[in-house]
Amino acid sequence: MNKRLGKPVKVLDSLPLLIVCIAVVSSLYVVCFTGIASNNAMRYMIQIFLYITMGEMWNLLSGFTGMTSLGQQLYIGLAGYSVAVATTKLQHSLGVGLLLAVAVSVVVALLMSLLLFRMEGMYFSIATWVVAEAFEKLFLNWKYVEQGSGLTVRVVPYPKIFEICAFSLTVCVAAVAVVYILLRSRAGLGLTAMRDSITAASACGVNVFCHKLLVYVIAAAFTAVAAGVFFVNKGIVYPESGFGISWTVSMIFIVTIGGTGTVAGPIAGAVIYVFLQEFLAHYPGWSNIILGAVTILVIFFMPKGIMGTLQEKLGFEVFSAKRFSFAKHK
Amino acid sequence: MSKILEFIDVNAGYGRIQILNDLSFSVEKGQVFGVIGPNGSGKTTMFNALLGQMRIFSGKIIFDGVDITRMPPNVRCKIGLGRTFQVPMPFENMSLYENVLVAAVHGGSNRERFAHDEALRCLKLTGLYDKREIKSGELTLLDRKRLEIARALGTSPKLLLLDEVAAGLTDAEVKEIMKLVAELKAAGYSIVWIEHIIETMVGSTDRLMCMAEGRRVTEGEPREVIESDEVQRLYLGVDENE
Repeated sequence: MNKRLGKPVKVLDSLPLLIVCIAVVSSLYVVCFTGIASNNAMRYMIQIFLYITMGEMWNLLSGFTGMTSLGQQLYIGLAGYSVAVATTKLQHSLGVGLLLAVAVSVVVALLMSLLLFRMEGMYFSIATWVVAEAFEKLFLNWKYVEQGSGLTVRVVPYPKIFEICAFSLTVCVAAVAVVYILLRSRAGLGLTAMRDSITAASACGVNVFCHKLLVYVIAAAFTAVAAGVFFVNKGIVYPESGFGISWTVSMIFIVTIGGTGTVAGPIAGAVIYVFLQEFLAHYPGWSNIILGAVTILVIFFMPKGIMGTLQEKLGFEVFSAKRFSFAKHK
Repeated sequence: MSKILEFIDVNAGYGRIQILNDLSFSVEKGQVFGVIGPNGSGKTTMFNALLGQMRIFSGKIIFDGVDITRMPPNVRCKIGLGRTFQVPMPFENMSLYENVLVAAVHGGSNRERFAHDEALRCLKLTGLYDKREIKSGELTLLDRKRLEIARALGTSPKLLLLDEVAAGLTDAEVKEIMKLVAELKAAGYSIVWIEHIIETMVGSTDRLMCMAEGRRVTEGEPREVIESDEVQRLYLGVDENE
């Protein structure tokens, strides 16, 4: 490789990586189904898989497309209530509940896009948050969903924990795959351009509105599925627990720690987040302060996050969106 | 020769502030059309109006026989308008190659494997080929301006819009840009070029327009325009009564 062309970067997205991925994923399925893992271990795994999904989606919005949403909890709350209404109120199965969650989120995302895409940058961020808050107030005062006292999620028959675990894993794998395939596509090239400059991207012929819409709807749908599973596991949804800003805070933490704009980042971030949160549960009152401090330290010393820094130092990239001029085109 | 671009009584501005006042002019195919004018005379606003990056109050813009007044920016790019920005706006975290590839894929409506050749051609034409794998955030000003041109070329434009590509460069660098523009003209591109530096414009353009307060003050042969009373007054502040 020519030295003048800059630091050589090895992109590990070829056959070996695919084999490793398949091996890891299938061994995780084996762990789920054979009962090697205790129920407690599986509870952690479920959390990790769901947070990876949400983290990947927030990363797709903020890290790759430049749409820093502070209102993804909107789709979490909607999904929680959709599942609760479908199962408890309408006596449907869990599958119907999750489908309803996705449908509601996609419809709301499409409607919201008309309002939100008129704004950019910080205005967009604040508007997404305000919309989520408005929905919280709506559900707090809505008689049908029991107002502030919350709705229980009563699924009959209640799925076994290994089933929830396997389903979460499937959602998580699908989320990572969708993000990666999207980034390698024609749209992905436009998205990374939009992250760096919206104006220049549109002058280069990128259809900014369509790209934003695509990403926003995908993010809403996956966040909704993940949240639906989360509330099945939890058993009850309140307006505050569904539409709280703390969801987005978690996503920001996961993505920042792991590495903004890297596909591998949220995976690392979610694992760290779940264990750190568990550890900090012993220090109530301090947990948020410590999480905040960790984030600030990472931003100061590793602005690219753990995976971002690691990849830069070691000169490789996994699941990379990069294009090379010397790549052979089939 | 036929007209590639025509402005007909265009009024435009930001909010309530009107910047372009009944601006009318036209550009012939194959020309290098220069635009000069003092700061705030509406040159860049004219580009923004042309590219659809701002709303027009009234008037019409005809490009290659098509009324583009109400088209969104990405469609205008696809039908053949390629622009550079006065302050370069590279996609900083992407390599030069990727920068031009975005333009060739989205602006040129190519599939990636065809866009690949097109991107390399544009990088060669602008002299950036050897630096193609460098992140564009690490470039010098001259190379950033070249990249702006390469990216505009990547969209396969019929008309190339250059916004002060020579501003802020040293004399030697300005000469390189002038050489590049001459090469682009020879390659068959029509060009509209906004610039402050008068010598550059006299040397490189076929036709020159001077703008002030959002209007066309004068237009014609570059030398004549520069020597006209209006331009002398605008640039040198010569008093009419003297």
